Amino acid sequence: MSMPLTALWTVPLLGALVCAFLGSKARYGALAFSSAFLALAGGISYLQGSPSALAVLTETGPQWAYGVCYRLSADSLSLGLIGLTAFLNLICVAASWDLKVSAGYWACFLALASALTGVFLARDLFFFYAFWEATLIPMFFIIGLWGSSGRLHAAVKFFLFTFAGSVFMLLALLALVSAHHRVTGVWTWDLGSLDPKTLGAAAPYVFWGLVLGFAVKIPMVPLHTWLPDAHTEAPAAGSVMLAGVMLKMGVYGLLRVAIPLFPDLSVEMYPILGGLAALSTVYGALCAMAQTDLKRLIAYSSIAHLGFCLLGVLSRTSQGLSGGTLQLVNHGLTTGALFLMVGFLYERSHKRGLSDFGDLASRAPYLAFFFGFATLASIGLPGLNGFVGEFMSLSGAMSAPFPIFAFVGCLGVTLAAAYALPAFQVVFWSPAGPDSVSAKVSDLDFRERAILWILCGLMLWIGLAPKPWLAWFEPALRGLVR
Amino acid sequence: MTPPEVMLAVKVLFGAPVAAILFGFFVMRRVKPEWTHLPILASCAAVTAAAACLAAYTTAKHCLELPVWTWAVAGDWGVAFGLRIDGPSSAILAMVAFVGSLIHVYAAAYMKGDKGFARFFLVFHLFFLAMIGLLTANDYLQLYLFWELVGVSSYLLIGFWYHKESARKAALKAFMTNRIGDLGFLIAVLMMIYAYRSTRLQTVYEFMAAKPSIYTSIIALGLVWAAFAKSAQWPLYYWLPDAMEGPTPTSALMHAATMVTAGVFLLIRSWPIISAVDGLPQLIAWTGALTSLGAAIIAGTKKDIKRILAYSTVSHLGLMMLAVGLGELGTAAYHLIVHGFFKAALFLCAGNIAHAFHQSTANVDETGGLRREMPFTYGCFLAAALSLAGAPLFAGFFSKDAILDAAWHHGGGLRVIGMLIAFGSAFYIFRMLFLVFHGDRKEQSRGGRHPHEAGPEFVLPIFALSFGAVVLGHGSIREWVSNLMTYGMRGVPMVLIRLKPYFDLPGEPALPALNWTVSAFGTVLALLGAGAAYYLTMVDSGWDWRWRGGFAEAVFESDFGYKIIVGWGARAVSWTARFTGRVLDKNWWDGLLESSSDVLREAGNALASSAQGRVNDYLWWMLAGSAVLLGRVLR
Amino acid sequence: MNLTAVVWATTGSLFAIGLAVVTFRRQLLAMLLGLELMLAAVNVALVHHAGLFDDAEALAVVALVIAVAAAEAVVGLALILRVRRSGRGADASVLTELRG
Repeated sequence: MSMPLTALWTVPLLGALVCAFLGSKARYGALAFSSAFLALAGGISYLQGSPSALAVLTETGPQWAYGVCYRLSADSLSLGLIGLTAFLNLICVAASWDLKVSAGYWACFLALASALTGVFLARDLFFFYAFWEATLIPMFFIIGLWGSSGRLHAAVKFFLFTFAGSVFMLLALLALVSAHHRVTGVWTWDLGSLDPKTLGAAAPYVFWGLVLGFAVKIPMVPLHTWLPDAHTEAPAAGSVMLAGVMLKMGVYGLLRVAIPLFPDLSVEMYPILGGLAALSTVYGALCAMAQTDLKRLIAYSSIAHLGFCLLGVLSRTSQGLSGGTLQLVNHGLTTGALFLMVGFLYERSHKRGLSDFGDLASRAPYLAFFFGFATLASIGLPGLNGFVGEFMSLSGAMSAPFPIFAFVGCLGVTLAAAYALPAFQVVFWSPAGPDSVSAKVSDLDFRERAILWILCGLMLWIGLAPKPWLAWFEPALRGLVR
Repeated sequence: MTPPEVMLAVKVLFGAPVAAILFGFFVMRRVKPEWTHLPILASCAAVTAAAACLAAYTTAKHCLELPVWTWAVAGDWGVAFGLRIDGPSSAILAMVAFVGSLIHVYAAAYMKGDKGFARFFLVFHLFFLAMIGLLTANDYLQLYLFWELVGVSSYLLIGFWYHKESARKAALKAFMTNRIGDLGFLIAVLMMIYAYRSTRLQTVYEFMAAKPSIYTSIIALGLVWAAFAKSAQWPLYYWLPDAMEGPTPTSALMHAATMVTAGVFLLIRSWPIISAVDGLPQLIAWTGALTSLGAAIIAGTKKDIKRILAYSTVSHLGLMMLAVGLGELGTAAYHLIVHGFFKAALFLCAGNIAHAFHQSTANVDETGGLRREMPFTYGCFLAAALSLAGAPLFAGFFSKDAILDAAWHHGGGLRVIGMLIAFGSAFYIFRMLFLVFHGDRKEQSRGGRHPHEAGPEFVLPIFALSFGAVVLGHGSIREWVSNLMTYGMRGVPMVLIRLKPYFDLPGEPALPALNWTVSAFGTVLALLGAGAAYYLTMVDSGWDWRWRGGFAEAVFESDFGYKIIVGWGARAVSWTARFTGRVLDKNWWDGLLESSSDVLREAGNALASSAQGRVNDYLWWMLAGSAVLLGRVLR
Repeated sequence: MNLTAVVWATTGSLFAIGLAVVTFRRQLLAMLLGLELMLAAVNVALVHHAGLFDDAEALAVVALVIAVAAAEAVVGLALILRVRRSGRGADASVLTELRG
């Protein structure tokens, strides 16, 4: 294939189109195309060569008006996140297999995967923005059409919040491109050739515009309030993609766009951004402690986890960058698994409040085992994946200025147990109350167990031997160390 | 011991438990859950043999540092895991393996017929594995990994009978408190990476020898904080008494013999760091002494037999801390090992009683005179209790008196507190002995139950443990332990360590001479304690029931008021969380953001009132607009 | 008084009358007639100025305006007919579907 990167984002898009016309057989199409997508992503990653010397694949198309140019490129960071997208997409398809949904559901997931892949591949900022916004559309429908009772409000809130953030990003990009043209006389949207020095005194505004767009997506406290609603109302697989990949777009944007363009500004602004990241870890944990809805709880825990990612990435130390990036994958696996299990609970009982359940450890031991496993990974038990990312991020923050952020982050690690374990106990250990729906909860079937075995196996693998995973991402991050 | 044999022993040490757990989880649990313990007991035997080999290896003045695998690398940052088999690790490992295996055997009998038998054994053995890993880690991060794994498996075991609310609460309390302690450990490890660029024990030791960093005090404080949580010292001791909600073998293995001693072990390991901070050893010594005294007093007031033993454990851990704080690492380790034996024996005796009553624990209201029905249990309990109280020539006599001796030499308040602890220990353990096994009091009633002696599968492990509690005082063993504490500390800067003589040089005779003055004092006080216990339980037999009620009981039940303060702390945290999550985030901040859409809607409505839909109005607007444009064009 | 002044006066007053009809009258048919009047006024002015400046393009525009006027009449009359048949009369002040 002469254009592997183009194929990477068009295969799922083609899948979406095919699925839309398959009617009731759409899930088979979705399975086939998701598998093909994963195989393609894996194949390209494999052919890229050994992790230590990752070549960068590039595809460039003809120049359009105003310097817009179809330009794709894939380094280890892009390929890693695309791999995560493809993997979670397949997991989502498998997890939704028995849902009674229309063909559009499957098409939306494939379209989402396609747009996300585009975001991770694009090196032309015009296409980057286009793909970035394109992700909103399928997710809007996933939440708005297949969500639970409050889905419309949540879908609109999700769309408006992230769109409002993107407007600032777009303004920043336009300012960057036009300033470049004004000074050099060349129209270009190419990330590699844009010169932020042409901005002069306007650079901080452009930087903050970009950061605002990314921070809403991550989401960083205090721009996070769309996330709990969106997660709560989205269908389980939608939450998986939202938490597993879409939130990662924000951190990816920082790594790919904001930090490389403004290396000095991102160091200068570390006291503010790092402080907010550290605050996110504690604030998210405290909020999660107060939740009575399982999905809201996990959503707030996502905010805390992404705070660790952000802290590591912004510290711009080698261990912080590696750990923060690995934490992107970790969070996708762990939170993905938790959301899936809450989804399984919801499918069976149509409830997700903490107090709606009880005594599930006796009634559904497999579910209890996997939920406990993922919970432990989520609270950062050493030996499982969550710890690796958190620890390395904190270690990075410790080496950066303001080590106080690392101390605050440690407090977040401590508090994690204070929301996760009580919730686990109420759902799985407490006796079932009179209004409980635990009787409806049957244990996981073979398909569900297989999915969770894969996820938990990966959690254990990354936790015990994170070295190859870190080595995979490292070449792409080496240049970002301060 | 040749190197290949040592390598084999090391492989067995980890391979056997991992294989047993995996086999048990994937095969036995499905095929024959009631036989899950068989591969695990086999693994225990293998581990004990391997631990014995390693102890022999280090006794021959060898040390082993074995890189195993590189955990994580990023740039010039990296953490590698490996094994460090040296004196402190192999000595304590030998005790943990031996005592742990005996408790496994006991647990097989005790848990028989329980619905969660397979689950219990798998988690139990996971704990065992974690403890092995903790003791043999050569890197602080690796130690932290197993430290947390120990915490999680204890959480799962305390909450084993999760249908009981008290068990759920106790499990959460234990885990959260340990997590608060781990905060110190985490900060210490992060600081270590920052200050020393490594978490490897040897590197840290060497660094400490070369140039103590200004961050050392933070690292040392963090480690001490973590050790206080794990080893149940004030201010983080309060989880341990509640942790008795777990099945009795759990209490015996974790909350007496192994897990809680991990904190002491950590401090022994970290002594080069801790001793470099002025005043910190004194802080440890005083905290240990006061915790020990307070816990000994409270242990004398409890009615639940497992709780008496739990407070007794806190008290003895305090003694070990006292020893560590005074620089007597060998003494601390020796008492740790002896305590492992006699406390495990006492717990298993309590387990026999609970089992005879078909309960998870027993209360002194229900017991009394049990020596008639349970003579073997009584005998073992008596031997272990004598050891605990420090009766001459029992193992506890040597280990405890060495600590008292150290406190005596330190002088001042510690001298007095040490003697008071000797009195208190004898008092509470003999009060328990008399209340449970002796007498025929009108306040006590069996409630129609007919306890009987447990079978041989129960009694044999206890017998072995009590035997150990008696004979471990033999001079050769004391010498062995004290010597071992120095092996493997080679390369550790001796100036920094500021150790007592027997810790100075590898291989020097390290047996502390018995100080007869102190021993005599200690013995007399123990006798007085036992005598007081006899008087208040046998002569004035209703005393224990008379003083209750009112202020005195409130003071003791709340641990001198400290439990109330802890409760306030917990409530403050949960209030903060509720305020943040429900009011600040949901109502105020999200409410504000959502209300922005209301603002826009209201503004739209206000504008809309000017647009009534009449075409003519729009024409006027159009006309006005055209006029303006025309004006600009014509200007 | 030259011809241009006459044309300006005529077309100007024609346009003003048309505008007044469109803006003040509420009768849809009358408003349509007013529009046609305005278009006619513009056409007359265009024809005169085409002659004045010898510009054929202006004549082309006239043809275009005639076509537009015809199309407008067709669509507008059809719409008015539909509105009348809907039973609400043909008064613009009643048709307030655009109200915000």
